[in-house]
Amino acid sequence: MKGMDGLDSLQSKKLTGNIQAHLFPTKKFKTVLITVFIQQALEKDSAAKTALLPAVLERGTSNYPTFMDLKRELEMLYGASLGSDVVKKGERQVVSFSLEVVHDRFTPGEQLFKEGLSILKSVLTDPLLDNGSFKQEYVEQEKDQLRKEIEGLINDKVSYALERCVQEMCKQERYGIYKYGDAETLKVVSPRELYSYYQELFRRSPVDVFVVGDFEPEEAFRLLEQSLVFSRSSTSSSLPFIEQNHFRKEPLQHVEKLPVNQAKLTLGYRVNTVYQDEDYPAMMFYNGILGGFPHSKLFQNVREKASLAYYAFSRLDKLKGIQLIGSGIEVDNYQKALDIIQEQVDSLKQGKITNDELENTRRGLINQLKVIADSPFALVNYFLDALVGQRRGNVEDLIGEIERVQAKDVVEAAQKVSLDTIYFLRPVNGEGGQNNS
Amino acid sequence: MKWQIKENQTIQEKVFVADLSPGPALYVLPREGFNKKYAIFSTRFGSIDNCFMVKQNGEKKKVSVPDGVAHFLEHKLFDNEDGNIFDRFAEYGASPNAFTTFTHTTYLFSCTDFFEENLGLLLEFVQSPYFTEESVAKEQGIIQQEIMMYQDNPDWRVFFNLLGALYHEHPVRKDIAGDVESISRITRDVLYTCYNTFYHPANMAIFVTGDLSPDQVLKQVTDDLERRSINGSQDIERCYPGENASVNQRKVTQELSVSQPMLYMGFKDTYSYLEGRELLVRDLVSELLLEMIFSKSEPLYTRLYEEGLIDERFSAGFVAECSYGYTIMGGKTKDPDLLHQRILEGIHQIKKEGLKEESFARHRRKMQGEFLKSFNSLEFIANNFLANRFRGVDLFEIVDALERISFQDIESRLHEHLNEELHAVSIINPLD
Repeated sequence: MKGMDGLDSLQSKKLTGNIQAHLFPTKKFKTVLITVFIQQALEKDSAAKTALLPAVLERGTSNYPTFMDLKRELEMLYGASLGSDVVKKGERQVVSFSLEVVHDRFTPGEQLFKEGLSILKSVLTDPLLDNGSFKQEYVEQEKDQLRKEIEGLINDKVSYALERCVQEMCKQERYGIYKYGDAETLKVVSPRELYSYYQELFRRSPVDVFVVGDFEPEEAFRLLEQSLVFSRSSTSSSLPFIEQNHFRKEPLQHVEKLPVNQAKLTLGYRVNTVYQDEDYPAMMFYNGILGGFPHSKLFQNVREKASLAYYAFSRLDKLKGIQLIGSGIEVDNYQKALDIIQEQVDSLKQGKITNDELENTRRGLINQLKVIADSPFALVNYFLDALVGQRRGNVEDLIGEIERVQAKDVVEAAQKVSLDTIYFLRPVNGEGGQNNS
Repeated sequence: MKWQIKENQTIQEKVFVADLSPGPALYVLPREGFNKKYAIFSTRFGSIDNCFMVKQNGEKKKVSVPDGVAHFLEHKLFDNEDGNIFDRFAEYGASPNAFTTFTHTTYLFSCTDFFEENLGLLLEFVQSPYFTEESVAKEQGIIQQEIMMYQDNPDWRVFFNLLGALYHEHPVRKDIAGDVESISRITRDVLYTCYNTFYHPANMAIFVTGDLSPDQVLKQVTDDLERRSINGSQDIERCYPGENASVNQRKVTQELSVSQPMLYMGFKDTYSYLEGRELLVRDLVSELLLEMIFSKSEPLYTRLYEEGLIDERFSAGFVAECSYGYTIMGGKTKDPDLLHQRILEGIHQIKKEGLKEESFARHRRKMQGEFLKSFNSLEFIANNFLANRFRGVDLFEIVDALERISFQDIESRLHEHLNEELHAVSIINPLD
C-alpha cells in the first residue's frame, strides 16, 4: 500500500482474517494507544444500529459480565482507558474502539499493553450472551441512552446549528444522516437483530487497527494477531466514496425558531474539492484566509471591525467537499452579518488577497499539520482521514504542496465554491431572517 | 542566574525553575522530539478578584470593580497602538489565545517555528497595555455576544446557578465574564487600575515547554526584563467578603430549551483560606473519596445508570482554591428530584456501611496512571503547573502527596465533608 495513501510513515501488515494493522513506533509519549476502526456505509436503516453496537459491547463480556467488572479491571491497569466512538467520515460511518495504557517503563513489573489488549479482545470478540443473543436488559438500557443522546443534540446550540445546517443542506444525500442515526429506527432494534448485525458487521467490514507508542513492532503484530480474532470473510465489503455534484440554482433558506437568547447564522457551501484532489491545498488556503484563523477575514470583519459576534469562523469538511461558516449574533443583525460574510466570500473570489493573508495562512496551516505528530489521538485521526479520503503521500508531502501554493491558485479554488444553504436559528422574538415556517 | 532543577522519577520529567524577581518566575520543561512549543504567561488575577486595596498618594483605598473585569482586560490586552496582536503572531505561524478563570488569567501561544519571535511577542503584548474608550466600547459588543452564547448553554447555566446557591457573598458565585449590565460599567480607567495592580511581574509566571534549551529561554526572558524598568513589587491585598459557612439557597431551578432536565449537586467546604500542601491534600483526598463513591466501577453508579437516572457523562469532582472549595456532581437526568434523593441515600448508605480498602487502592492506582497519561499534553503540563503554583502547590508534588494518603484520611473526609446540611442543588428543566 506504500504511496497510495497518507500512511507512508507506518509499518503496515495484513493480519490473518483480512485485518490491516498499522504501527507508528515513537518514544515521545507516556502511553501506548491502540485504535480499531470498523468502517461501513452511512445508511438511514443501519446508522442507529451501528451507533448502538459499541455501547452494548462495552456493557459486558463473558469474562467481565458487568460494566463494573470491566471498569475495575481497567482501573487496576493504572487507569487504562477503553472507549468507543462513532464518527461520520464522508459517506461512511466509522466505529472506533480505543485503548490507551501507560507505557510499561513507568510501571515496572507490569505488562499494561499486553493486559490491556486482552480486555480489548474480550470487548470486541467475546460479548456477554444470553440465549445466543445480546442481553436484553443491556440492549434496552443502551437504546434508551442512545435515544437521549440523539435528542440531546439540541442542548448545545453552537453545534446544533452547524449539524442542522448540514442536515438541511444534504437532505437528499447519505451525508444528511446524523452520525447516531434517528430515534425511530432505533426504537425497533431487537437484541437478536443487533447480535446478527454485529456478526455481519465484524465479518464483512474493513477493519484497520493503529498502534502509536513505544513497542517492538514484531511483538505488537503478534499480540494484535492474537487479539483480533473473529470470523472474517476474505474480502471486505466495498464502501461508498465521496458524493459530490449537488447543485442548487438558488440557495436554500431555512429558518428555525427556538426559545434562545442568541441567534446563530450558519452558511453551508459546496466547495467541490475533496482531500484527494490536486487543488485541495489551495482550498485549505481559501478556507484559512476566509475563516480558519484569528487573522482571517471573518474574524477580522465580523468580530473585530463590526463587533457583531464573539465567534465567526469557517470550517472545511475535506471528506465531503463542503464548508460551513458559523457565527452567533444578535437576531436583528441578521442582514448586516450576512452582508459582511458574503462580502468576504466575494472578495476572495475577486482575488482580494493580501500578501500577509496568504503568507500568514501558509504558516498557520503548516503549524497545524506539524503538531499532529505530537498527539497520539491526532495521529490516529490523521491516518483514518487519509484512509477514508484516499489521500496520497504523508504529512511532509502535504506541507510541501502548501509551500508551493500561490495566490492565483487560491482564487481559482474560490471560483469552485458555491453557496448552498443559509440556516438561521433565531429566538422566538425579534426581527431578522425570513420566516419560511 | 542559576536554575533550580526539579526532577520527578515517577513521571520521568524535569523542570527548570528560575526566580527572576522582581520579575516573573520562569519555568522551562524540555520535551525532546515534540514539534510543538507551548508558552504561557499568567497572572494571579481572576474573576473573583473584584475588590482590592490600591495605594494612592501614600494612602490605601479600597476599590471595587465591575464583575467580569479580569476577562474584559484579557480581551483588551490583545490590542496595541498599531492594531491587533493576532496579526503579529500570524506572521510567525503561531496560534495565540488566552483564558480567564476564577483565579487567574493566562495568555498563550503554540507554534512549531519562530519560537523566539513568538515568545518575544508574548512578553511584549502582555506587558504593554493599550486601552482607549473607543476600543473598550467596541469590545462590549463582542463580550455581550459571548455572554449571550453562555446564557443559552445549559452546562454553563446549571453550573453557575449551583455556585449562586452555594455561596452568599463570595465572588465565585458570579459568571466569569460578568453580565451585560456589569460590563457596560467597565471603562478605560478601570482597566488601567486593575492592570497596574495585578499585572506586576512579581504577581506573574511564565511556563514554556517543547523541544527547547532552557538556557536560551532564560537568556531571552532576562534580556527582555532588563529592557523594562520594573519597580519593586508591592503586595496585593485582595478583599473577599466574609462568607457564611452555610449554603445560600437549597435549590435553584431554571428553564431552558433542552431535551431533558439536568441536576448538579454541590457540597460546600468550610475553610476560609488554605494553600500549599494542606490544600493539595484536601483536594486529593476529596477526589479519591468521590471516585470511591461515584465512579463507574462502583455500585452506586451502576444502580443509577440502570435506573436510567444518569448517563455516562455523569461525573463528580472537587474544586480546591485558596479562598473556596466545593464538591460538584451531576449531569443530565430524566428525574432530577429522584436522582437527588438517590444520591443522598447512596451517601447515607456508604456512611453506614463504610468504604472499602480494595476500592481505595484501585482508585489511587487509577489516579496515578491518569496523572502520568496527562503528561502527553504540553498544554496540560504548562496550564496545570501555573494554576497549581498560584495555590502554592508544585505539580510534581502530586505524585508523593497521593502516595501518602491513607484509607483513614478518606474515611474521615467522608463524614466531615459530605454533610447534607452543606449541600445545594441546581436544576434545569426543559421549557414546555
